[in-house]
Order: sequence, then C-alpha cells, then structure tokens
Amino acid sequence: MKLTALRNMAFGLSAALTLGTAGAASAEKLRVGMECTYAPFNYKTADGELAGYDVDVANGVAGIIGAELEFVCQEWDGMIPALLANKFDLIIASMSITEKRMEKIDFSGPYRFSTGQMLGPKSKEMELFDATGNPISNNFKGLRVGLERATTYSNWFEEILPDADVVLYDGSEPLYLDLQNGRVDLIMTNPMKAHLKFLSKEDGAGFEFKGPVIDEEKYFGIGVGIGLRQGQDELKGRLNGALKELINSGELEEYALKIFPFKLHMDEWGQ
Amino acid sequence: MDALTGWWDDYLWGAVVVGQVFVCSLILMIVFGLLGAMAKISNSRTAQKIASAYTVIFRGTPEILVILLLYFGSAITLTAIAQIFNPEIRFVDVPPFWAGTIAISLIVGSYATETFRGAFLGVSPGSIEAARALGMSNLQTFIYVRIPEMWRLALPPFGNHMLSLIKDTALISIIGLNETMFVAKQAITVTGKPFTMYIVVGAIYLGFSTVVTLAVMGLEKFGERTTAGAK
Amino acid sequence: MTFDIDLIVESLPLMLMGIGITLKLLIVSGLLGLMLAVCLLLMRISGKWYLSFPAQVYIYIFRGTPILVQIFIIYYGLPQFEAVRDSILWPILREPMGCAIVALTLNTAAYVSEILRGGVLGVSKGVLEAGSALGMSARQKFIYLTAPIATRLALPAYSNDVISLLKSTALASTITIADMTGIARTIVADTYAPYEIFISLAIVYIIFTFGIQKLFGAIERYLGRYTEREG
Repeated sequence: MKLTALRNMAFGLSAALTLGTAGAASAEKLRVGMECTYAPFNYKTADGELAGYDVDVANGVAGIIGAELEFVCQEWDGMIPALLANKFDLIIASMSITEKRMEKIDFSGPYRFSTGQMLGPKSKEMELFDATGNPISNNFKGLRVGLERATTYSNWFEEILPDADVVLYDGSEPLYLDLQNGRVDLIMTNPMKAHLKFLSKEDGAGFEFKGPVIDEEKYFGIGVGIGLRQGQDELKGRLNGALKELINSGELEEYALKIFPFKLHMDEWGQ
Repeated sequence: MDALTGWWDDYLWGAVVVGQVFVCSLILMIVFGLLGAMAKISNSRTAQKIASAYTVIFRGTPEILVILLLYFGSAITLTAIAQIFNPEIRFVDVPPFWAGTIAISLIVGSYATETFRGAFLGVSPGSIEAARALGMSNLQTFIYVRIPEMWRLALPPFGNHMLSLIKDTALISIIGLNETMFVAKQAITVTGKPFTMYIVVGAIYLGFSTVVTLAVMGLEKFGERTTAGAK
Repeated sequence: MTFDIDLIVESLPLMLMGIGITLKLLIVSGLLGLMLAVCLLLMRISGKWYLSFPAQVYIYIFRGTPILVQIFIIYYGLPQFEAVRDSILWPILREPMGCAIVALTLNTAAYVSEILRGGVLGVSKGVLEAGSALGMSARQKFIYLTAPIATRLALPAYSNDVISLLKSTALASTITIADMTGIARTIVADTYAPYEIFISLAIVYIIFTFGIQKLFGAIERYLGRYTEREG
C-alpha cells in the first residue's frame, strides 16, 4: 500500500466526517432522504439519475428557497429514525402526514394525495368490503396480506384488521413481485402507483383492485408532505412558501402530468 | 438479458465501490486485528479484558445489526461528542460508506485478532532467542522477526478474512451504500427482473472472491520461497 | 441522548418471541446442511473426477458469494420463472421460511464440507497404516478411524460455523421472516428508537453465541477425553 494512497484515504476519511455549522452564508446545503426504489415517485433510472414526482418536488422547492440538495437513499423502515439521527435534513419520499408521525417529526403542507387500495388476483373472488365501504373482517380469513413495514397501509391494517395474516416487507417492489408469484393473496398499496406500474402492464393483467379507495384521514393524513425534524419552524415556513408557489404557478401539476393524466394535489393547498 | 442494457455501467460503479470498501476495510481490519492481538498477548490485564470484550461483542453479533447500529448510532454519538467541543456544530455525520466499512472492519477484525494472536504465539522461540543473541532491540525483533514469521502462519486464515470482508460488503447495501446489491434493487424497480439482476451481483462478487483467493495463493507461494520444503 | 429503558423492557419479550423462528432456522438448516456437507465431502474425496469436480464447483460458488445474494436469488429471483412456480418445489419456495432454510442449508453445507475435509486431512497416516495392518477395509477405516478423529479435529472450526449460521439467520428478516431481527426492525420502525432496540437485540445474540460456545466446548472435552494433552 503506497504511502500517498494511504494519506489520500486518510484525508478522505476526515473529509467524509462532514462538519456543519449553523447558518451557512452561501447556498444552504440540505440533505434529502428518499427510498430511491419507489417508482414512479422516487427511483433511479438506468442512467443513474434520480427521477420521479418526489425528486421533481425536491428540486422545485430547492430552486425557490435557494438551497443545494444532496440526495441520500434510505430503506423505508429506517426513514424516520435516520432523519432523527441526523442522516439527512428532509424526507421527500411520499411520506404521509399522520398524527402518529407528527409526534416525532414535523411536516410541511401536503403536496400529494395519500390514499390506499387493495390489490388481488382476478382469479380469486374476494368480497372484502360492504356497501358502505367498511371492511368485512371475516372475509379476510385465509388470505395472506402483504404490506410494507412502517407505512400508512400497515398501520391501517394493524388498527382495523389486527387479526389478518400479514407479512411485512422492506420495500414496495418485493411486494408486487410476491403478489405476482402468489406468495401473498392481497396487498394494499398506492392506487396510482398500482395502476401505472402494474395493472396497465402485462405483469398485472391478472390482477385488479379489490375494494374502494381508502383515504381516512386518521390513517392517511391530509396527504403526503415533506418531513423534517421538529423545532425548525423557520425552515418549515420557507418550505411551505415554496410548495404554495409550486402549486399556484402550475409547476406541481406539470410534475404530475409527466407521469399521470391528472394532477396529484388539491388546489386549495395553495392558499 | 436486454433487461440489463443501460445498467452495466451502474453495476460497474457498484463494483468499484465494492473495491473501495475492500481496500479501506482491509487496512482497518489489519489495524484492529493487530491491536487486539497485541492487547491479548500483553501483560496488562485491562488490555486483555478490553480485547476480550471486543472479540466477544463483534464475533457474537450479527453483521447486519452491527452495520445498522453504527449507521444510526454514529451520528448521534459523534454529534454529541463534537458538540462538547463546539456547540455551534449542527451535525457530525458518518456516511454509509464509512459506517459500513468501519462496521465490517470491526467484525472481521475481531476474528483477525484470534488469527494474529495464534500466529504471534506460533513464532518459534528459537528465532526470538537468535534475535536477542544478535543484540536486536525489542522493536527490531518485532519488525524483523515476529512480523514476517507471524505473517506466514496467519496467511491462510487471513485469506478467509479478506473473503469475509468482500462478502460482508453486500450487507452495506441495507444502509444505502450504492454498491452492486443496491444497484440491483434499483434496477428491479425499473425492469422487474430480480433473478437476472441478482445473478449479476453474484457473478461480480464471485469475481472478486476469485481474485482475492488467487492473490492469497500467490502470497503463500511467495512467503514459502525461503522455507525449506517443510510441506 | 436519553436511553429509554422502558422501551427495552417492553420490546425484549416481543423480540424473544422470535427466538422460536431463529432456533428453527438454525437447527433445521444446521442439520440439513451437515448432511449435505457429508455428501459433498464424500464426493470431494472420492477420487473420481465426475464426483469431485461438481462438488468443488458447488463449494466454490457458495463460498465465494455473499449469503445475502444467495437468499435474494432464491427468494426473489427464482419465482421469476414460470417453471419454478409450477414445479413441485414451489410449496417450499413459496414460503419465506422454506427459502431461508434452503439458502442457509446450501450455504453452510459448502463451508462445513471444507471444514470436514480439513479434519479428514488431519488424520495422521500412522493411524490409517495401523488400520491397514489390522486388515481393515477402506470402508472400515473410514467409519472407525477417519470419521471419529476427523470429527474431533473439525469440531472447533465447526463450532465457529454454527455461530456464523446463527448470525446468518438474522438475514432472514430481509425476506419478511419475523425472527428476532425482523421483529426488532418492525419495533424500530414504529418507535424510531434504533439504538435501544438494536443494542438489546445484540446482547441477546451474544448470549446465544456464548451458549453455543459453551456447548461445543463441552462436546470437545467429551470427545477428547482419551487424548493426551500436550503440556
């Protein structure tokens, strides 16, 4: 091992232990945590570029508040612990604003709807919901349900159908894969993503939604927002200002139209 | 197979990261292993106890846990320590590369401690006496007699430690390090072909293992060039 | 940074509920792996190239790639093929436990067969010659001489492998299995307290490891009760 290489690595080590002092004068540096494997909201393309609705929102907000962004990839179930452990400053990863999460972290205003819907194979008859849209817990017996850990969906199941046979996954991709190969009979996921990435493709041909769209505020919150540590009201204010600008200028709608034929937010969030 | 087009360069970068982790963790592993071994052989009871605790903790804890602990815990502890010196500091963070590298170095280092300790004890007393007779100081004995002989004894198990380092790198993907496993996960999101993507990862790691194994075999031959055919 | 003791007290029982699964993974994979390892060993030392070569390739592949990759290929990769989903193996491969056991078994078999081979090579020629002088057949020599001696020689290295296997069971949590680590990760995701949970989990594994080491120490002493101790 040459000494110069050794020395360079020693420098690299000390440089890697980044020190941040409060209130940098020039472009503010913000680290953004996201899953990087949640198409079409945040994922990596074959060119190694991060893309998706969340990425666009992040860049849009950064442009308005004049910050430089560094993206950090993080597994979903460690997202909030990582934020609290200071691994990054913002979570822009399609994270729903729920009461439970607000106990530990703060959120900006919403920038996307948050809803859930169940997905299952066409070949299996399932009557899971009654006429008023309430789940019939008996009809879930014998069905294996796949859910992503620490999501609004797993939370909803925990509270509403605690006796269901639930299998917890680390990410969303494995969830869809296992639905396809029959390891789970039912999953609950984001209906927009399901429609775009799955049902409209040949892999998803034999599957369909098994129930209505669920958007109970208690579990899904008012929508998806930017997560940040508590006690940063100044930053929160600037983020909210930026989001309102994106909504009112129509830019947020543009991001949505890149992927879906409809916008993903409510206009009144811009007030 | 065309699922892979466009991803080859990402895999290449992932492989480069594996190489980087290997080099850095190799150095650290040797450092931790030597320190541990010397502590265990030393006459200081405290040093022996600390080294014992080190080996028990890191040989008994699953690698994935050590990595997760270092990743989440490092920022909090380091920031707390740094804030003692300079309250202005907002955060001191250890990126996944170093959290993971240090984690696997500590783990394999605890095994290396035992390997080096056994090897040090295996240095023939005759050679040490000869060195003393020649008037060599402790330091000179250490550098010119102990280390070379110890090294030859340690080489075969050491080769296994190097292989462990390479394979443990795959676990660092869990904390977001952009090596080959993580590339595979991202590729699967876009292509939906898990078998293809993970097989490539396997092949890349197999390649690395082969190179290391060949290198160790070469080093063994090199080390044996002056020993009378004891085989 | 506050250390939430109450959280640990609440979570430990939950995590310990996963002990049954951890043990099941360990024991089933360990036993199946041992059986497979003996087969591989016999193939390897058979002297016939068409048996020895496939065994060597198998060992090379499974020791040269990370176990996490092997687990992922079996769990996520294989179902990519219709043929697998329609085959008789599907009931096993459909279940996460089935996949985990298959992966762990295949992996540990590769390592253990090499450990056993080391033991076999360590049986002194003198003993085997004595056997021949007594008129033992090759088969008798293997059963009554090589096997017992090789087992005793291989025991220390084997106990290390069992500990490695224990640590590898923690990786089952990455394919949805609710073993101790899986439960811990769910608790962390709900309470956002990685430090406390993971440290207590690590302590559980360390205690486990301790237990295994003591167990094997006792077995070693029992098997070696007739051997002469050197100084």
